[in-house]
Amino acid sequence: MTILVAEDEMIMLKTIELRLKKDGHTIILCQDGREAIKKIEELTPDLIITDIMMPYASGLEIIGAVKMKGGRKIPIIVLSAMGQENVVLEAFQLGADDYITKPFSPNELSVRVKRYIPERIQL
Amino acid sequence: MRGFIYFSFIAIEPYFFLRIMFAFLILLAVLFAFILAYTFYKRRMAGNKKIWQEKITNLISEIIFLNEGEPLPAALISDNKKLLLKPGFRQDIIDELIHAKKNLSGSFTINLVKFYELLELDQDSVRKLNHPKWHIKSKGIHELSSMKQKKYLKEIFRLTNNENNFVRNEAQSALVSFYGFSGLRFLNVATYPISEWQQILFLNKLNEVQPKELEVIGKWLQSSNDSVVVFSLKLATNYNCYQFYDVVIECLHHSSLQVKINALEYLKKMPGENLHDHIMGYYDGENKTLKLLILDILKETGSEKELDFLLKQLHHSDDGIKAAAAQTISSLHPLGSSFLQSHLFADEYPWKAIFLQIQNDHAA
Repeated sequence: MTILVAEDEMIMLKTIELRLKKDGHTIILCQDGREAIKKIEELTPDLIITDIMMPYASGLEIIGAVKMKGGRKIPIIVLSAMGQENVVLEAFQLGADDYITKPFSPNELSVRVKRYIPERIQL
Repeated sequence: MRGFIYFSFIAIEPYFFLRIMFAFLILLAVLFAFILAYTFYKRRMAGNKKIWQEKITNLISEIIFLNEGEPLPAALISDNKKLLLKPGFRQDIIDELIHAKKNLSGSFTINLVKFYELLELDQDSVRKLNHPKWHIKSKGIHELSSMKQKKYLKEIFRLTNNENNFVRNEAQSALVSFYGFSGLRFLNVATYPISEWQQILFLNKLNEVQPKELEVIGKWLQSSNDSVVVFSLKLATNYNCYQFYDVVIECLHHSSLQVKINALEYLKKMPGENLHDHIMGYYDGENKTLKLLILDILKETGSEKELDFLLKQLHHSDDGIKAAAAQTISSLHPLGSSFLQSHLFADEYPWKAIFLQIQNDHAA
């Protein structure tokens, strides 16, 4: 599965990349929101993992852009330190499929990602 | 006059003018060279920082996924021996480790701490902790606390009563983060005030646990430090400590207003048998804030027995107290607000407004 990870903190980006690569996924890394929106349009990943607070465009803007795009539904997991109810609700209302608050366990992320693997890949 | 250059009405000798111009040009050249050198230095530093950042990211991400018991690869250190001697590089590693530890949970954080200890970065943090400047001292404590370095408890504990507010707060927070409720033992020796914000942070941190050693709160309730008494009252209220009821009643006669307010908050949550008689007897000598709090306690926990006392308060000179007493009566009397309407002149000021307020409250 091709997963796009948008996260402005290099150390988190690298950690997520290493963990998900262990599961056999292909990872596309983006350090800001604008780059993520551009790459989503170009590469159409199977899953998006995004932080909320990022330079140029926030994670919420990424969700909005993906949902506006139409076409094949791309599941989105939000991974953020912002655990406030209103932010979580806004993310889900915009179309996020899952929400993980930091601090998080990369193993938990891996398990949650597996839920979005299409059946053909699981086989 | 030939041989002179004229500027408005000032005449300057040409040779002198040339010398000034020359000096000015040299100054400009020096300034330009300095700007150039500084820009070059900044760029180089930024470049170094970027290389360091990449190295640190690789180092940390390599060690995060090591299994439990698996030793940290020695090559990590030998490959970066020179860099690891640079204080700036070491500081960047500490910052990144703390950052990663804040964002990650589970077994991964153990490796981060191991790495911090392996590189002896705790020594760097201790050096900061012993630094005379308060902001460096605070940073050192914060680093040791974030990386769970309990072995420096002694050094951190003596800073819990430091004269600097920031150092003190950081050291106190470190103790609570190490030991939870037991970490509050610094309250035994605290002579400086514990800020309202700091109290909120502690309560927030301690909210998830039910400590066993609650008896110690009784000792803090008798502290000579008013803020310790206030915080102890909050703890006693939070943990429903009925055993301190008599001590809290004594706190009503404390010299600090805040202590009295928090004592009343405790009593509101945990009213004893004789509470109403006690606070009604205490009421007259106190200020408006405390009077309103007492009326609120009666509203929440009182009965018809207190109505005589409350009816007297309707004739108080202060309209706020009149209104609070009227609200309390309307909630305690079986006839509610209609009792008040029959008892008083509803058309008179301020009763009309008070009745309206009570009716709105009931409707809400």
